[in-house]
Amino acid sequence: MDKILENLQTFWSFTGFANFTTDYLIMIGFGLIFLYLGIKKDWEPMLLVPIGFGILIGNIPLFQGLNVGVYEEGSVLNILYQGVQRGFYPPLIFLGIGAMTDFSALISNPKLFLIGAAAQFGIFGAYAISLAFGFDPAQAGAIGIIGGADGPTAIFLSSRLAPDMMGAIAVSAYSYMALVPVIQPPIMRLLTTKKERLIRMKAPRQVSHTEKVLFPIIGFLLTAFIVPSGIPLLGMLFFGNLLKESGVTKRLANTASGPLIDIVTILIGVTVGASTQADQFLQTRSIWIFIIGACSFLIATFAGVLFVKIFNIFLKEGNKINPLIGNAGVSAVPDAARVSQNVGREYDPTNYLMMHAMGPNVAGVIGSAVAAGILLGFLG
Amino acid sequence: MRLNEILVINTNDYQDDYGQQSSWIEIFNASYGTVDIGGCYISDDPSNLRKYQIPGGDVLTKIKPRQHVIFWADNQPFRGTFHVNFDLMGAEEIIFTKGDGKSIIDRIRIPSALKDSTMANKSYGRIEDGEGSIDGNGDGWEMLERTSASTNNAMVDKTAKPNRMKEMDPYGWMMAVLAMTVVFTALIILYFLFKQISRIYTRPTSRAEGTKAATPAAVAATKPSSDDEVNAAIVAALEMWMESNLLHDEESFVLTITPSRSAWNDKHELLTKLPQMKK
Repeated sequence: MDKILENLQTFWSFTGFANFTTDYLIMIGFGLIFLYLGIKKDWEPMLLVPIGFGILIGNIPLFQGLNVGVYEEGSVLNILYQGVQRGFYPPLIFLGIGAMTDFSALISNPKLFLIGAAAQFGIFGAYAISLAFGFDPAQAGAIGIIGGADGPTAIFLSSRLAPDMMGAIAVSAYSYMALVPVIQPPIMRLLTTKKERLIRMKAPRQVSHTEKVLFPIIGFLLTAFIVPSGIPLLGMLFFGNLLKESGVTKRLANTASGPLIDIVTILIGVTVGASTQADQFLQTRSIWIFIIGACSFLIATFAGVLFVKIFNIFLKEGNKINPLIGNAGVSAVPDAARVSQNVGREYDPTNYLMMHAMGPNVAGVIGSAVAAGILLGFLG
Repeated sequence: MRLNEILVINTNDYQDDYGQQSSWIEIFNASYGTVDIGGCYISDDPSNLRKYQIPGGDVLTKIKPRQHVIFWADNQPFRGTFHVNFDLMGAEEIIFTKGDGKSIIDRIRIPSALKDSTMANKSYGRIEDGEGSIDGNGDGWEMLERTSASTNNAMVDKTAKPNRMKEMDPYGWMMAVLAMTVVFTALIILYFLFKQISRIYTRPTSRAEGTKAATPAAVAATKPSSDDEVNAAIVAALEMWMESNLLHDEESFVLTITPSRSAWNDKHELLTKLPQMKK
């Protein structure tokens, strides 16, 4: 009988209940909120559901030496986590993004490139704020990239500049990307007049096949020469787009934009979620990361909308840009463009801004990858 | 690969695997890939570049990126791969040559001062690993403050870049201005390039419109109407839907619907012969 009790006691010490602390409960609560938002509210379910479940996986209390935790070298989760830690998942996701992105809106109206550049102020505003709050420059750079509104870029950069903060940065970036429809509209309304919201933009012109093929080649060569440290992201983004637009590699483009990106999204979501173990995640600095992350989104939206307003001063009547697409300069594709469309239609139901907003939106993807390359070059 | 550091008189510096102290030559892999130096030559005689051949097939001659390897110049080559058949007291120069025995990779003249007994246990090396001349004139080389066999000649501070940035730019404004300038420059160049490209591709249409522009009716026709916007929105929505369902297999503005096969239109089903009674 004593032997049985002893074995039961040993078994009990192996269970999650024996190692349980309230920190784990809080993190499991976060995971459940993510799942609720993803499943019930339909907010970025492709991201929030894997991350939410990953948080549950990562926050089952374990005893040391079981070799199943994401931070235990050689465990299955740790092997899957290598893609995040060594930064090879983000370029693969960029390959898929390139293969599913249509840059026609941007090619037909190239001045929209500049809005994508302006919105990157969010990154460097957040960088300055982080420094003011006592983070060192490398950490500040990793936090700042949240303002690029690009999950893979945030993971890629933080894995190099501040690996210990990657979980909080990734969760913060993806959370705010899901919250774009909530964060951006009040700022857009605040900064624009009714007259500006009613501006109708010229319908985009038809873009030829040659232009579409030239775009990824020229885009890559130019940006990579300027910021070589961004090659993993920029190279894969433009390569994916060339697969799509060349017209001769349809199968490869379909794989990159379909099964491949789905597989990597699952792996990146679950492992990033699992990396938020309570002991690593529940720290005061994580709260600061969330606060500064929110600021970076606000600054990016401010900068995008204000830039369009200033830009309009120099544009002729008929060529003016509706400032409601300024928010789309952040690279949350296509959510930020959808926000432009929805806010625009509140004031004029026949004004369709979606196709125009896709221009700065995809320019934002390029802009944030370039910004990440710059930060990596200076701080890496 | 680079000759990186040498020590001529060794009385209480590093010891080899036999516990002996002798002259040494450090070679550094300055690349970011593993390099196998098996088959290469080290010599102290310009007229005999093939004096000591590094044995091939030894896993230890595969030098990892940015790593160092030490050769003992003790004139006792039978002691192993890393013991050469000359010593540095009698040498004027060290020459590192490729496996062809002709192409010199790097060479360095040994300062005569290094052979003075007052210079015992002092090494002569590159200020920065792998940096400086490769023609023997000693640019980028100096007497080092401390010997550093198999390690960096200069202390490398991994946090140097961020720390330097913190000193130069404590508030982050310089980074913001600099980085935004680069982002804007990259995207402005793209803007100008594609503006020019779009001019090439829209020129024929513009000319055609230019000839029509004389009449007010033609001007009115070129203005986008509300219907155009609606049509464009419908096309954009259709395209997005078809893209997401992988139904759209051609370029934009061309709607193509890939036919799907089912039992109702399957060729084999349609060609199935009806049962016929044998006569």
